[in-house]
Formats: sequence, structure tokens, C-alpha cells
Amino acid sequence: MIVFIARRLVISFFVLLAATFIIYVLTAFAGDPLEDLRQDNSPQKLTKIAERSERMQLDVPVVLRYLGWLGRIVRGDLGVNRDGQALAPILSDALSATLQLVLAATVLAITVGIVIGIISALRQYSGFDYTVTFAAFICFSLPLFWVAVMLKQYVAIEFNNWLKDPVIPPVVIGALALLGGLIFGALTVGDRRRRLVAFAVGLVVSGALFTILSVTRWFADPGLGTPLILAFGLATAVGFTALAAGLQYRGPLYAALAAAVIGAICSQVLGPVLADPTWLEIGGLLLLTIAVCLGLGYALGGLQRRQAMTAATLTGVFTGAMVFLDRMLQAFAGFSASVRHRPVSTIGARTPNYQGDFWQTGLDSAGHLLLPTLALILISLATYTRFSRASMLEVMNQDYVRTARAKGLPERTVVLKHAFRNGLIPVTTMMAFDLAGVIGGAVVTENVFGWRGMGFMFTKGLQEVDPGPVMAFFIVTGTAVVVFNMIADILYAYLDPRIRLS
Amino acid sequence: MTTPPNVPIEPRKGDVHTYDIPSTILDSAGDVHVGLQRDAVRPPSEDEILRVQDLTVEFPTEDGVVHAVRGVSYSLREREVLGIVGESGSGKSVSSMAVMGLLPKSARIKGQILFRGDDMLKMSPRKQRSLRGRKIAMIFQDPMTALNPVHTVGDQLAEAVLAHELMPRKTALARAKEMLDLVGIPQAEARLRSYPHEFSGGMRQRAMIAMAVINNPDVIIADEPTTALDVTVQAQILEKLLEVKDAVNAAIVLITHDLGVIAGMAHRVLVMYAGRPVEIGETDPVFEEPRMPYTAGLLGSIPSLENSGSRLRPIKGTPPSLINLPTGCPFSPRCPLADEVCRTAEPELAETDGGGHFAACHHWDRLAAVEDPTVFFRTESETKA
Amino acid sequence: MTLSADTQAPDGAVEQGMTIVARTQAQMVRRRFFRHRAALAGMIVFGLVLVLAFSSIGFAGIPGWWDQSYITTGALVNQGKPTLSLSPFSIGDHPFGQDDIGVDYFAKTMRGVQQSIIVAFLVGIVATLVGAIVGAVAGYYRGRVEAVLMRVTDVMITIPVLVIAAVLGRRFGDAGVVPLGIVLGLTIWPTMARLLRGEFLSLREKEFVEAARAVGTPARRIIFRHILPNTIGVIVVSATLATANAVLLESALSFLGLGVQAPDTSLGQLINEYRTAFSTRPWLFWWPGIFIIAIALSINFIGDGLRDAFDPRQTRVRA
Repeated sequence: MIVFIARRLVISFFVLLAATFIIYVLTAFAGDPLEDLRQDNSPQKLTKIAERSERMQLDVPVVLRYLGWLGRIVRGDLGVNRDGQALAPILSDALSATLQLVLAATVLAITVGIVIGIISALRQYSGFDYTVTFAAFICFSLPLFWVAVMLKQYVAIEFNNWLKDPVIPPVVIGALALLGGLIFGALTVGDRRRRLVAFAVGLVVSGALFTILSVTRWFADPGLGTPLILAFGLATAVGFTALAAGLQYRGPLYAALAAAVIGAICSQVLGPVLADPTWLEIGGLLLLTIAVCLGLGYALGGLQRRQAMTAATLTGVFTGAMVFLDRMLQAFAGFSASVRHRPVSTIGARTPNYQGDFWQTGLDSAGHLLLPTLALILISLATYTRFSRASMLEVMNQDYVRTARAKGLPERTVVLKHAFRNGLIPVTTMMAFDLAGVIGGAVVTENVFGWRGMGFMFTKGLQEVDPGPVMAFFIVTGTAVVVFNMIADILYAYLDPRIRLS
Repeated sequence: MTTPPNVPIEPRKGDVHTYDIPSTILDSAGDVHVGLQRDAVRPPSEDEILRVQDLTVEFPTEDGVVHAVRGVSYSLREREVLGIVGESGSGKSVSSMAVMGLLPKSARIKGQILFRGDDMLKMSPRKQRSLRGRKIAMIFQDPMTALNPVHTVGDQLAEAVLAHELMPRKTALARAKEMLDLVGIPQAEARLRSYPHEFSGGMRQRAMIAMAVINNPDVIIADEPTTALDVTVQAQILEKLLEVKDAVNAAIVLITHDLGVIAGMAHRVLVMYAGRPVEIGETDPVFEEPRMPYTAGLLGSIPSLENSGSRLRPIKGTPPSLINLPTGCPFSPRCPLADEVCRTAEPELAETDGGGHFAACHHWDRLAAVEDPTVFFRTESETKA
Repeated sequence: MTLSADTQAPDGAVEQGMTIVARTQAQMVRRRFFRHRAALAGMIVFGLVLVLAFSSIGFAGIPGWWDQSYITTGALVNQGKPTLSLSPFSIGDHPFGQDDIGVDYFAKTMRGVQQSIIVAFLVGIVATLVGAIVGAVAGYYRGRVEAVLMRVTDVMITIPVLVIAAVLGRRFGDAGVVPLGIVLGLTIWPTMARLLRGEFLSLREKEFVEAARAVGTPARRIIFRHILPNTIGVIVVSATLATANAVLLESALSFLGLGVQAPDTSLGQLINEYRTAFSTRPWLFWWPGIFIIAIALSINFIGDGLRDAFDPRQTRVRA
């Protein structure tokens, strides 16, 4: 395994090296870096030209310039742009914003895409499947920048206006209820009567939900509160237990329910700790949650110890996330007031000079990330959905899935243990490809939303025919692609023992 | 009828049954069915475990409805070996998948599948599942693809136990080791931790056998268990299958297109053609005195030491499309005995020589009249010579 | 001792029930394609867009039936709002409206559609040619040739498509759509190369290839005559999907100002040109967007229909 990784690393290194050469040379030949100065009519025109030519070493052949750049990079020096500004500080500013965007989009697209893809495969030829397929095709065909501009106009501006007085008009409630009913109906398999019942249930539940949200003006000062956290926690406990162990034995169910109850209690008890935590403390709490839940599963699981530990941990982490979300929502009213009631932002990666506690700064970056991420994940989401659906359909037809059924395993085990893991294998190879696409998308998205991130650095550098910033951008993204490739390879090997052992 | 040297002739185990077929047959509900001779099933008996009655399976496809199985009936007694033989597409696999409840949702299944008197087609999915793998187990054709590549062999064996009984994993794994020992896999303890790709084809099929018998089933359905294996391994696997069957006292439904395997193992044989049973009876009478030209043709197309000097006599033509079946006997386009009657009326299964030997042929008496029924399949040049 | 039934057709195979409807592969592909409703709809929409774009304002000096030009300015009618109305149906003087200096926006959009389609098709053709040749050669020869070609492909894949396309677009964008289409095609071939290499790797082990090799058929002939025709499904499908992607790639580049440059126009360039006018003249933004989606969606549906048609069981998804 280590040899495998090492070999991949060496190959990747040379691949990356070759790629830097290509990008450097192509950028250098992409146009005339002195174009703007040639049209300059000021008296210092010639001095400026000479100065920039000197700085960019325009008299030196491109290959030598590249070697010079390479030499500096090896020593950790990113160099300067054509105006003489050092690139390292510019890059470090740009880096975090873009990384947040790319990572959030990728992780969301992978998880949501795989889940939708699998449900769609398991419900092949259902209304849900057809809808997802059609939506995926739409997403494949949407120009990213167009979507981004639309989101900016309709979601950000209109939504912010609406938040000032968050009453949902009856027509919208009706539409949302109808949508809820359709989703319920499409997800149900069975005869027409069952689907109609599911539709009615969905209609009533979502209608009631949105009416309550509207009447209580929940959106003006949102929050969940301990009772809701407990209710959601218990529901997820049952759900995760049904998935991980089935409901016929008690042990795993008790463990998961206990995890949910403890989580809900913690939302009260942990008040002082959660007032203004740091990310480190949040991480510590997460680890603590996992440890406690594993213990619960071990103690209460009985003969189904493994399944109980899984169910309890998933429930615990989910309940923890709810507590986190609750805190964040409670901070919303204050945050919204502090940004003049425009929480969904359309420009930049953060509000300049914003001061606030942990939750408020969190909301601030969430408000800025919301739209770019939404725009950015559409295409990846469609890709992952289609790919995992196809992969899952293929796997469900394999002989070993038939064998698993012939053993009398419950469908849950057949899908989760036998089909899912095999279905994931081809999806991992997709990940590295997709990341390159997301990075390209980030360039466009940053442009629309006016982020001064890496994408901006790249487009500006390219417009100015300045290899410095372009290469700084590429070093980071190229490395990210290589690292992601690596992770995908390792994941592949982990999932498929045939690779692992050879 | 000789078998080739590669298939050992095992003495058939279990009793040899003789059957007295009344002209009226009781169905499962106890109603008297008059003239239901085509079912050719034996009367219900004490030790009957599986009875398939009038099973039909259809698949709607975009080109039309595929009539994969068109009225199959048979019964299976404890410790009995029933061979089902036929070309691919004759419905032999589909009918046994129906018994396992493994057909895709799109399949339209009619008839009855009675396990110890309970109709499996009417059971709740949960009840059906509790029988699957515990009372009725299955061995598949291709061991290379039938095991999950990402889980260890031990894990896949143990989960077969855990699916039906709550017990510590360790106990289940111990059970799995016992089974690997039983099927003759050396170093069973270590092999539990191996992945399927580390096993050879023969070992994987042994593991599949171990998986099938791990819950002491009453019925094992073996769907062409040796087709995908090397000839040298086939005999070992079949021998092991019989040995294991005796160890757990199970009956076997053995699906194959290899007549030698049937001759060596099965008490009774069911010949299928175009989704229908065309001949059923005890193995020796069926093989020695086939009463359906198709069976005779099959026997004639086999190389054997006895007729090693002469040519093989293949059956001309291909099986009919199951979407657009001919009227009359489905075998008539390929049958040397076919006449106008055959092309208009499909023959029912009818008793021929007594002793539970049934065949679906208008002209079975013409076969009975000659010494070697395969003679009808002689090629022209052969006849001239 | 295995049952054998020889497959030679009996005399008089037309006997009732024995007719197995034999169709050639082309017939089957056509039949399945035309059964795919979305693909058929995609075909019709794409055909309409094509005819509309090239017949209305004319192409390559041949005049079309639309009397306005996409260059000349005119007086603003009704603040440049679209005059198209559906009930009662009337086209009016400027169905898609006018831009801020009075240019007819219908003509301009049609010009954009033409340019975008030309780029997309060039990209599709170039990428397919290069990708197919690289993939075929790598998959057939194996060994060192394969290693070198696949490393080159790896290098290309490490660079996000948009990045290398932007770099090349910066250089060739103002040279016109033909050079732009060709260089963009040179950036997106690796996907095709990988796919085709996989196909070749499995096909080269097949008996018919071994047979061809055994009788001394030269490698070039085996590649082009024996293996390549068997990969036609994969090639056609991924060429279609590459073309759909190219529509989006070109418009994204032009949107960034790194593709087609003013005064020439393309759908992405139009959106870029008028993005700031969104709140005042939203139609300048809507029309090109709708056409991009219509073109990309219809080509994607055609591609899906082709995939189903060539191999109903093929589950490969665009990578």
C-alpha cells in the first residue's frame, strides 16, 4: 500500500511539473503584456515599458524564464506580479476564500449527489427517478455564470427583501405544500392508492409546516429549541437504527435513542460553553460526542454491538449538528440587524471589517458562501447523481447481490452492505475529475460574485499576460487536483480489496 | 447409455420411489382435479417438501411478453435429487429463481409454490425471506461473480447465519469454519479472512456450497453448479455436493444441461423445452426409453464411448422465440417426427409406460417402437451409408 | 458431454414461430433512438434553432430573411423592449428588443447562436479526432507508447479544462471562431482518449482481433478496420456530449472575456456584455441564456438517446 502511494506520488509530481511548464509557456504567449502601456500617452511611457520588461524579464527566452520561476518556487518564493507586488500575501488572502468555496461545494455535491443517485436507482422508473434524471440533464445544460447571475438577482435581492417581513403568501404555501406532496408521492412505491395517500400526507404536513413558519414569523428570528431538537433526534435515532440494524432487535434502538436524548440534554447544559466557542472547541465536542456514542452502542448493543455503535454515533453526530444549527439560527436576528437586514450577500467572501462572535462571523461567511456554493454545486451534483445512479443500477444487477438475497438477508443489508460499497468504487474515480471541474467553476463563480479569490487572481493575471499570478493559482489548484486524485486512489484501494492486495 | 469418464457414476442415494399415479389428483387444497394429467406430479405424500404447481412466469418486454415458463409442475421429496435439464432459455433457471423469490419485480408469476404445504407466492415478504437461505438455499452457476468481491469469505458465510439467527459473530464465524472444513477447503480458519479473488474457481464453488448448507436447509437448488468450472474440478464439486447433501439431509433440485451429471446424480429427471416440461420420470427409464423426440435428440447429440466411431447427431435448428411461440408443439419445427397434428395441437403431458414416466408427444409410441430412438436424428449421409 | 444444438438455421426458417426478427445494428440503433422521446424532442429543438439561426440573418455572405443587421444601430423603439407578443401573435420590429445603442437584438442573438454552434461543433470534431487517435493508439500498442500517451493525458487532466481553455482563449479568442474552436478542441480530448483506450484494451483481446493478427493484418488496418468500427457507439456518444460541453465552455470563456471578443459576438459574450444591464434591460440577458440552455439541453438529450440506442445496458456516464 505504501509503495503504491509512493509510486503514485512520484508520478503525480512529474505530471504536475509538466503541467506547470505547459501553463507557463502558454500564458507567456497568450498576448502582449505591454499592451496597456503601449496605448499610454503619458511622458513616462518608455520608462514604464522598460521597467516592466525588466521586471518580467521579457528579453529572456520563455524556457529560461520558466526555469527561473521553477528555481524560485523550489525555494518557496512565489515571486511578484507585473506591478511588482509580492504574490505570497495576495495568494494567502485569496486561498482561504476559494478553498472554502471549492471544498463546501465538493463535499455537498458528493454527499447529496450520491444519496439522490442511490435513491433514484433503488426507485428506478418512479416519478422521483424521472424527475431527478430530468433535473440532472437541465443542470448539465445550465451555463454556470447565467445561473449565478440569476441567483444573485432573484435569490439574494428578493429573498433579503422578503426577510424583512417573512410572511409566506398563501399561494406560495400552497405551491410548497403541493411540492411536498409530490415528493412524498414520487418516493413511494406501490399502487396508485398508496401513492395518493402519501401525496395527501405530504401535502398536509408541508402545508401545515409552512403555515406555522409563516404565522410565527419564524424566519425573522429562527431557532429550533430543545423540544424540537429532541423530536428530530429521536426520529433520526429510529431512522438510523432501521438503516444500520433493523428494528426487530432492541439493543441498537435503545443505544441510538439514548444518544439522541443525551444530545438534547446537552443543548441545555452546554449553554456557557457554546456561548462563543472556537472551532477547536467545536471539534473537541464532536470527538467527545463520537466517543460517548460508541460507548453507548457498546454497552447497550448486546449481540448487535457493531450495528448499535454505528446507529448511536450517526444519531449523536446528527443531534450535535442540530444543536450547532440551533445556536447559529438563534444568532441570526442579531446578525441580520448588524448587516442592515441583508444576510444573503452578493459580493465578496466576507463583510469587510465585520466584528462578531463565533456564531455571527459563521453566519457572515455562510451568507456569503450560500449563493456561490449553490451555483457551483449544480453541475457536480448532477454528475454525482447520474454517476452513482448508473453505478448502483449496475451493481444491483450483479450476481453477488442475487446471492445476498438468496441468503435471506434483509433488503437493507443487501443494499447497504453488498451494493452500496461496490457502487461507490467507480464513484471515487469520478471525484478527481470533478474537482478540476469545480475549480474551473470557481473561477467563473468568483467572477460573478466579485470574490477576490484565486479565480480572480487567475483571470486578472491572464488578462495582463502575467505568468506570476497564473502560476500561483495553478500551483495551488494543480496540487489540489493531484492530492484529490491521491485520496480517490486510496479510497478506491480501501473499498476494493482486489486493488489493495495487488 | 454411458457417461463419459470425467463424471463419476455415483450410486444414487436415498430410496428409489415407485409411484402409483391415480387418474385423479388432489391439489393442495384437497380438491379433486380430474384429468390434470399434464401436471404429472405425484400425489402428496408425507415426506414431500416442495411442490411446484402450474407455475407460469412471464416477462413484459418492449418487444412483447416473454413466456419464460408455461406451466411447470413437479414435486420434491426429502433427500431426493431432481434433475431439470434443457437448453438455455428453456425456463429451467427461471422456474427455480421463482422458487427462491429472486425474479425481478417485473416478472408476472402464477401458480403455486408449496413449501411443506405453504404457498410461498402468497407469503409476506418477511416470511418468504425467513425461508430463503434457511430452508431453501441456492448455489449459482458462476462462482466467480456470485461472491461479493469486497467482503471476506468468512464474513459472507457468517452473515448467512446471522440473517436468520441472532448470535455472537464469533459463533457464526465458528460455524462458517466448520462448513469450510466440511466442503474440503484446507486451512479453513485462515481462509475465512480471505477475499473471494484469492480463491480458485473450484474453491469458490465449494465456498458457495458451504454458504448454501450453513443453515441446514431442506432444499438446495443448484443452478448449473459446474458449468463455469474446469472439467477436472467439476467431478470433485459434484461429489462434494452429494456428500454435503447427505450430511445435512437436504433434497436437491439440480439444474443442468449436462445429461451425464443427471445420469450420475438424479433420481428423477424433468426435461424442459420452450418453457414447458416435455418429459418427466425416473432417470433410468427416461434416458433408456425416451418418449419425447427432444429427449431422444439430446441423448443422440452426446458423444459417448459407445458410439465413438459414429458421428454426433445434433438437433437441427434453434429453440423457438418465447415471445412468438408457434402453435402446436413448440418442438415441431425441429422434430423429425412432426406432422400436421404436431403443428396444430400442443401435446399434453401424458403417462407413457407407467411408473411415473410422462411425456408430451403425440407420437411417443413411434419412439417406443424402435430400439434406438436417436435413430430419427440421423443425418442424411449416415442414413445413406 | 454437453448438450449441443447447432445454430444453423433450419431449412425454411420462416416457419411460424421460428422467425427470429433479425435486425442489423444500424436498424436497431435507429429504432431505439427514435423510441427515446427526449432525444427526439432534442433533435427537433436543435434542428429548429439551427434553421432559425442560419436562415434568419444569413451566413457567409448569403442574405437571410431577417431584414435587420446585427451591427447597424437604429432608433430605440419603446426603450428597446422586445416587441414579440404571443397573443395576439406578432413579431414586431424587434422581437427580442434592442440593446442600449439600438442594435436589433434578434439579429445579434442569432449571430451569437451561429458563432457558438460553430465553435461547439469544431470543438467536438477536433476533440473526437485527437482523443480517438490517442486512445486507439495507446490502447492498441500498450507498452511504452501507451505509457507516454497516457502520461500526456494525465498532464492534461491535471489542468482544469477551464484553465487551459482560458489561457488558449486569451491568445486565440480575437482570431475568430474557427481558430478558437480548434484550440478548445485541443483542450478537452483527454476524456475521449481515456474512454477509447479502455474500449481498445478490452477489444484487442477479442478473438476477431487475434484472428486478424494471426493472418498478418498490419496494425494500422486492425486499428481502423477491425477495432474502431466496434467502438463507434462510444465515440458517437462522447462526441455528442463533448459538443454539448463545448457550448457551455465557449460561453463561459466568452463571459470571462477570454473567448470571442467584441465586436464579434457569441452567446456568452452577449451575456458578458450586458450583465450590468440586468436590472434595467433584463431581456438582453434572458435571450442568449435561453438559447444556450436550449442548445446544450437538446444536444445532451440527443447524446442520451444515442447512448441508449447504441447500448441499452451501457451505464457509463460522462466523466
